[in-house]
Amino acid sequence: MATTTNALPQIHRTARGFCITSAVWFVIGTLVGLTTAIEFIAPDLLGNISWLVLGRIRPVHTNIVIFGFVTAGLLSVSFYMVPSLLRTELYSEKLGMITVLLWNIAVAAAGITLAMGYTQGREYAELIWPLDLVVVLLFGLICFNLFMTVKQRKEPLLYVSVWYVLAAVILSAITYCIGNVIWVPGSGALAGMPDAIILWFYGHNVLGLLLTPLAVAVAYYVIPSASRTPLYSHTLSLVGFWSLLVMYSHIGTHHLLQTPAPTWLKVVSIVGSIGMIIPVMVVLINLWYTAKGKLGQIQADVGAKFVLAGSVIYLFTCIQGPAHSLPVVQRITHFSNWVVAHAHMGVLGFAGFIALGGMYYILPKITGKPIFSKSLAELQYWLVLIGMSGFMIGLTMSGLIQGHGWRSGETVYRLLPQLHHYNIFRGAMGVLIVSSALIFLYNIIRTIFFNPGGQASGVGKES
Amino acid sequence: MYYPFFIVYLIAGFAVTLWAFWWALRNGQFKDQQRARFLPLDEQGEQPAVTVTRLNRYQSYLLLAFAGSGLLALAAAVVYILVTGG
Repeated sequence: MATTTNALPQIHRTARGFCITSAVWFVIGTLVGLTTAIEFIAPDLLGNISWLVLGRIRPVHTNIVIFGFVTAGLLSVSFYMVPSLLRTELYSEKLGMITVLLWNIAVAAAGITLAMGYTQGREYAELIWPLDLVVVLLFGLICFNLFMTVKQRKEPLLYVSVWYVLAAVILSAITYCIGNVIWVPGSGALAGMPDAIILWFYGHNVLGLLLTPLAVAVAYYVIPSASRTPLYSHTLSLVGFWSLLVMYSHIGTHHLLQTPAPTWLKVVSIVGSIGMIIPVMVVLINLWYTAKGKLGQIQADVGAKFVLAGSVIYLFTCIQGPAHSLPVVQRITHFSNWVVAHAHMGVLGFAGFIALGGMYYILPKITGKPIFSKSLAELQYWLVLIGMSGFMIGLTMSGLIQGHGWRSGETVYRLLPQLHHYNIFRGAMGVLIVSSALIFLYNIIRTIFFNPGGQASGVGKES
Repeated sequence: MYYPFFIVYLIAGFAVTLWAFWWALRNGQFKDQQRARFLPLDEQGEQPAVTVTRLNRYQSYLLLAFAGSGLLALAAAVVYILVTGG
């Protein structure tokens, strides 16, 4: 069984490429995030270095984490999982590698241009027009590669994960075009309320129609596979898939309840937000019933362990989300750190955890080698879990103080000292996340390039 | 004027979804649901059984406690907001 070769299998190059991409940008994205957190603690610490001011590095952090780390990580798993579930090979590894290369160029260019101050100034849609075109091209390439893989499949049935991945890439391509107002190259924006509405239609769908379906797809693959138990109900999973498509696409206006957006649109967004409980509970009931009686087995696999924890944080996120889409709750939470906590729970706690778990789970399969250090992976799990829990607790409490303070007419400068220790706590938790990112990068690089330690059992075989 | 873009998106989305659903129906994607449940397992082949330690079981309990306390804390925060800010 034990061989001492360092050679990597010819297949799964795209999955490996996206995995390394995710690990590298995880470090850079979280380092920039930590810098942002430090600026909240000591605003004058970095002086007036233009490319390090908060207004510039905040979008650098969000864009790199969303596209460089989480999406790339989930795509890495998808590029292994989809061909594997279809009992075929990826249509074109060459095209996949071109996609990986272009993806990295786009993320790097996004970081550099945003730091230089080239921005369209719309939250989550800051990238300038030429980069918007590259992103759309990239989603197009991914769609083509995956759809052609589906076309050449040997397994006639599409498992629910395949449905989710295909929906994520095609809907994201369309949503990105519309949300970034790609037909207006100069500003990438409309004017006034219509722009706010279209922006939040996109902003929320980055999580809802890109990260959520990709992460759910990975969870639906990893949990049954790691627990060696068939999925509790495939029919139920398809109900969840179609209801996600119906519910999620129009809820972005719940970010604009205090604005003169049309009332009917606000109502649609709130109803959709509450309705999201249906697809979310369908996913979680299905996953947890699959894992029932096998929790020890899941905890024994470090990848599956990350995915299960991600599903728990998905529950938190999706209970919090519908709750604060209600106007009565939003009076306190809106524009406060509560929302920042929610965003971290969604992107890092749910999608990020599942991306990390998915990559650890497939790593032996795409390299043909065991993970370099399972202990380091375990350490990383606890660092991210503690860091993430700290973000949830600290930012939520800080948000409640902000919301109540502003609602009772307290001035900002009198509130700031009350938030200071929460900001320090946030920075400390950020150190844990950055440390975990460094561990992940080290573990990934060692596993892929410097790990002649032996053949992973029963893995790395041709699909 | 943003309605035209939304309407185009809605119609396009609706058309694509209907087409996908129709394709799935015609291709028997909703038929063999029992076999579909096993698809993630078929590739595993001869993988050896995982050894479950006592620590793994404790970690499961810890995760359950995390889930429970997180839910309680969230519920408490939302109730607090409703009581104080409504």
